[in-house]
Amino acid sequence: MPWIDPRRSIRKSLLTLLLPAAIALMVAAWIVHGLLLERMARGFVEDRLQDEVAFLEHQLRQSGPDEIRDIAAGDYFEEVFHHAFALRIGEQVHSSPELWTPALQPLLAEARSGFVRETRTGADAAIADFLAYRKALTLNGEPVVIVVAEDLTTLHHSQQELHIWTAVVSGILLVLLLLAIWQAIRLSLRSVAQLQQGLQSLQTGASQRLDVNAPAEFQPLIRQLNLLMDTLDQRLTRSRDALANLSHSVKTPVSAVRQVLEDDTRVLDPEMRQHLAQRLSDIDRQLESEMRRGRFAGPQAGKAAQPISQARDLLWMMGRLYTDKNFELESTLGPDTRWPIEEHDLNEILGNLLDNAGKWAARSSVLTLKDSGDQLMIMVEDDGPGVDPKELPSLGTRGVRLDEQTPGHGLGLAIAREITERYDGRLRFSNRAAGGLSVCATMPRKRHG
Amino acid sequence: MRLLLVEDDTLIADSLNRQLTAAGFTVDQAQTARQAEQLGKQEDYRAVVLDLGLPDGNGLNVLKNWRADKLTMPVLILTARGDWQDKVNGLKAGADDYLAKPFQAEELLARLNALIRRSEGRVEAKLAAGGFELDEYRQCLQTPDGQEHSLTGTEFRLLRCLMSRPGQLFSKEQLLEQLYNLNDSPSDNTIEAYVRRLRKITGTDAITTRRGQGYIFNALD
Repeated sequence: MPWIDPRRSIRKSLLTLLLPAAIALMVAAWIVHGLLLERMARGFVEDRLQDEVAFLEHQLRQSGPDEIRDIAAGDYFEEVFHHAFALRIGEQVHSSPELWTPALQPLLAEARSGFVRETRTGADAAIADFLAYRKALTLNGEPVVIVVAEDLTTLHHSQQELHIWTAVVSGILLVLLLLAIWQAIRLSLRSVAQLQQGLQSLQTGASQRLDVNAPAEFQPLIRQLNLLMDTLDQRLTRSRDALANLSHSVKTPVSAVRQVLEDDTRVLDPEMRQHLAQRLSDIDRQLESEMRRGRFAGPQAGKAAQPISQARDLLWMMGRLYTDKNFELESTLGPDTRWPIEEHDLNEILGNLLDNAGKWAARSSVLTLKDSGDQLMIMVEDDGPGVDPKELPSLGTRGVRLDEQTPGHGLGLAIAREITERYDGRLRFSNRAAGGLSVCATMPRKRHG
Repeated sequence: MRLLLVEDDTLIADSLNRQLTAAGFTVDQAQTARQAEQLGKQEDYRAVVLDLGLPDGNGLNVLKNWRADKLTMPVLILTARGDWQDKVNGLKAGADDYLAKPFQAEELLARLNALIRRSEGRVEAKLAAGGFELDEYRQCLQTPDGQEHSLTGTEFRLLRCLMSRPGQLFSKEQLLEQLYNLNDSPSDNTIEAYVRRLRKITGTDAITTRRGQGYIFNALD
């Protein structure tokens, strides 16, 4: 519904929708009731008028005009039926009671059967509003017209009274309904207030997580929020640990280097220079690895990477850096495929695996990306010398460098392994039958919520 | 050999300057992005060492401006940030190699020499056909809408083959020669797969299939 602002409070939206709707429906019910009442009353009156005409006709046929005259003479008909009647047989005219005569006699002139509704105005009209039934027939060769009429004023009167009573009852019901709506909204939104309280105590630090009995609609939100807070907690702990490690391993060499540089009695011979450079390299290595780890995001909701476009960029770059080697992509994934891995993390896995392959490949290396629905797979193969089977298990463990001549072999794979494990995945190494190393990272595809 | 060294840290700059000079380079030094851009456009350098974090701007922008001006000297970028995206961005902007700080002077010299050697016999060759432009040195394809797409090695070689003679039919056997793969025997299906991938970049109409015969690069001027 475009005219409802999604940011408006739920209470306001419900009230603005439900209150007018309840009022409108109640009024509609009242109007319909009035119409039905009117129809019912009229049908009832019509039936009775027809019955009475039939009665008079019967009398006429059985006992002749004399009987009718007797009926007309007194107030007998009105007393029994509370109705007036008029009758014309040939040229003779009877009517009862007296009061109705001016109103009914004009009706006798026409010899047509059916209902006549007449509303008269003016002071002379004793009967202002009536409904009459006229029947024309022939009796013993003479034309006869019978008219029976009922005064509608009193009927209208009682009908109106009834209608007003209905209005009063409807009004009371409406008030009760509105109260019920208001109460229902208040009760069902009470849990939201609880949620607000929970958030408040979270903000003030009174509680660490959001533990609220919120309605089912809010459960995913709360779960996500708690997940987010756990992640933040973990990250804080991790970065504190990392900083503590870093500070420990950086401060000592820094102070050592400074001591040497500040001591002007000391001569900087080549051996000392090398010592200093070594210390600085240690600092750099520590910084590099801690910073890389600090940049890992780990699994997070709402973070996704486009594996194909990232892989293409990296493959192209490797092709430019290792100009005599060929880097290829094998994948059936579409260019817009998204994987639930944070972009930087995926880049780091792909980049390190490809860089490693680039260093060792003789001519070519192939990156394979697969998505089997519940598992994501990244495989990098090269046609290099491969790795001694005894060394395979220790590949990618930090600090293991199989070949000091090609720096980074250890660190890059270690980073790839660490990120993969952060996503509950595994990094496996094997030698290809045709020679060369194959590195395969598999990660489960997690569905949130 | 003249070389432009763009680095704002005087300690690094002076030390590098000394070692580069000792290695036989004639070094011009720039400390700001503006100065670097100007020098690069005025003078004719054999190579450039470019630091990305400059006080008055990003070195990548300097590099992009040079490349936009059709300056083709090899550029080696120095970066303190070591993540892959950073490296990709550097190469996409037109760098030829990168070196992450801190580095050893020997490493820098080795890379520089390799770059210069590689660029020596290099001709700026671009294949153009039907609005497409294939940059042979950078392995990039510019489509008629002005977008640049980076290609993998095989994609590049296939496209170079097809684009070298637009309108001519190449059989699958001819195209197979452009492949080399980990698998020893690439099949016809491999060619089909690569053509499909190329079509995603060029659009379906640019490469036509002749059933049973081969492929034609069909975008003519």
